[in-house]
Amino acid sequence: MDAAELELFEQSMRQATERHTGEALDAAVADLGWPDALAEDPHAAVSTLFPWQGVANTTSSALDQVVATGLGLDPATADAVLLPRLGTVAAPAHATGDGTSIRGLGTAALRRADRAVIVATSESDGTCTVGTVAQSDLQLQPVGGMDPDFGLVEVTGDRVDVRALTDAPGSTWHSAVVLAQLAVSYEILGAARTMLALARDHALDRIQYGRPISSFQAVRHRLADALVAIEAAEAAVDATRDVPTPQLAVIAKSLAGRGALDVARHSQQVLAGIGFTAEHPFHRYFRRVLLLDQLFGSAHSLTSVLGAELLRSRQLPQLLPLA
Amino acid sequence: MELTTFRKALDDWLDENKSELAPEHEGAGTLDDQMAHLAKVKRLGYEAGWMRWGWPERVGGLGGSPILRAYLGEALMIRDVVDPNAYSMTEVLAPTMVDFAPRELASVMVPRLLRGDEIWCQGFSEPGTGSNLASLACRATRTDDGWRVTGQKVWTSYAQYAKRCVLLTRTGSQESAHRGITALFVDMDSTGITIRPLRTMHGSDEFCEVFYDDVAVPFERTLGEVDHGWTVAMELLPYERSTALWHRCAYLQRRLERLLAAVPPDALGAAEVGEATQLLFALRARSRITQRRIAEGQQLGPETSIDKVLVATAEQAVMDLAARGLGSELLIGDDAVSQRWRAEYLYSRAATIYGGTAEIQRNIVARRLLDLGDDR
Repeated sequence: MDAAELELFEQSMRQATERHTGEALDAAVADLGWPDALAEDPHAAVSTLFPWQGVANTTSSALDQVVATGLGLDPATADAVLLPRLGTVAAPAHATGDGTSIRGLGTAALRRADRAVIVATSESDGTCTVGTVAQSDLQLQPVGGMDPDFGLVEVTGDRVDVRALTDAPGSTWHSAVVLAQLAVSYEILGAARTMLALARDHALDRIQYGRPISSFQAVRHRLADALVAIEAAEAAVDATRDVPTPQLAVIAKSLAGRGALDVARHSQQVLAGIGFTAEHPFHRYFRRVLLLDQLFGSAHSLTSVLGAELLRSRQLPQLLPLA
Repeated sequence: MELTTFRKALDDWLDENKSELAPEHEGAGTLDDQMAHLAKVKRLGYEAGWMRWGWPERVGGLGGSPILRAYLGEALMIRDVVDPNAYSMTEVLAPTMVDFAPRELASVMVPRLLRGDEIWCQGFSEPGTGSNLASLACRATRTDDGWRVTGQKVWTSYAQYAKRCVLLTRTGSQESAHRGITALFVDMDSTGITIRPLRTMHGSDEFCEVFYDDVAVPFERTLGEVDHGWTVAMELLPYERSTALWHRCAYLQRRLERLLAAVPPDALGAAEVGEATQLLFALRARSRITQRRIAEGQQLGPETSIDKVLVATAEQAVMDLAARGLGSELLIGDDAVSQRWRAEYLYSRAATIYGGTAEIQRNIVARRLLDLGDDR
């Protein structure tokens, strides 16, 4: 796709995320050819859908397809993919002498699927196996929690029978993680943009002391800081296109997660009373961001892991080239 | 010339001339050391052509995209050849001359700056004019044979070394605010100019007070239109937040690298190292977008205030990390390397003050990017 085609494609993704959610959104993006775009140019496809899903606070099983693509699979043939537990990037299963044990998460797609793709790391040598498991062999526990609309399920399974797809080197899971972190980062930033937009509109409308609160510097600076956080993280997330390394993906996801939580704090303070009500949409975005920050590693945990690596190697990560 | 070709050839040249380009002084050196070294590096770079790429041919350049200048500065910073403060002044002053000086003046003067023959300075701030630049009072009065300038400037970097100054003066009434300002190009050896370096907390006399007492400036030295100096200032500021900022980012990376190499085991926590590195990467990613926009010939504007907020945040984060990681050297070390860290740490406190304070940048973001309307 050239730039103009990509923009048009993104417009159609945006409309789909505004009009549909869940299974209907899956069907809509499939009709528009998103899975093909994902196979052709993963970064571009991710950047056309996930920001808008974040903006609209809708859900889909696109993340399953992103992980499948990162694993080198055809996203169209993978109905569901198991995700890591919250706060970690470790593969959701590991193979022991005793069979495969599973501790992970699934999206709504897993509830509908007969089989799910799973990545298991071997306890003995650290290699990873990509295979499928029967959904009926797994225990699925629907998650309510902070963000029930997100439709997560907790997945457990012991001594599960895995049908191997390929014997893949360990790096395969890493490339799936890089792509998934990118997708989640884009969704986080979309949600952050909506939180900021809600706060901005409120600041312009809300009159106190005879003037809109947007005229008070304390309010303006909070909103300015929110925009700076979003733009900084977005620049880093976009840059992973040119330098798709695990370290840069970690940096981008950390900036997105930490930035969005800063945006939430500033936006909530500006929204004040109305933002604390259930009728105002703010809380849906806040809940989503809290959850997404923990998916494929939180800003907090990823930052510590990155810092420990830097202190060990005493070298900076590979720098972004100028052009 | 393409960036990839330029990069390869420049890297080779820098490697071949490594010893000649290395500073002779240890640590930061004195200001005299730094200025002499900068002049030498610029001259060598000009003679080899590097300092000329990315500038128009009519001011002594060899043409090509400004992105070449961004890379040149980066390459010099990451090799510790020069520091960004004085080096990157060129990125602010030369474009102003290219855009606003009479053509002949620019063609004579700009090569002297690029070649390191001359240092120039920038006279903006005044004792009563900090954030509110449009309130400046240094007056230029029209006479039959030119302008006569009387007033006081402050925070003029390197004025004691400078041959010329891009000076903002009041030509309208004081109430004319931003509508009555004119930019002049002033010879610093003119009669009536007194320069007094300021002693600052970081121990380097980089900033000066400059007094102008009935200083004669020819009309041909007017930059842009009379009473339209505000345009000159507003177009100069985004330059300060683009190429020069890329150089500063490269310098900060180099310092963080040095810190990682020097820090004692267990002196720093993983999270603080990770976060400072992330802030630096965000800055680089953001500034990279700005560099590409310049290369495409786009006009820069208020969005560069985001870059400026990020560079100040990153600089203070890196230097806070240095203060924690190298606490003992930074606090009680009297060797040249420790003195340099100490000076850099203290200098970083000004990152949220100079070139438009952190608050002014946020005002710009709020008004121009978030369209929040009037602030009163």
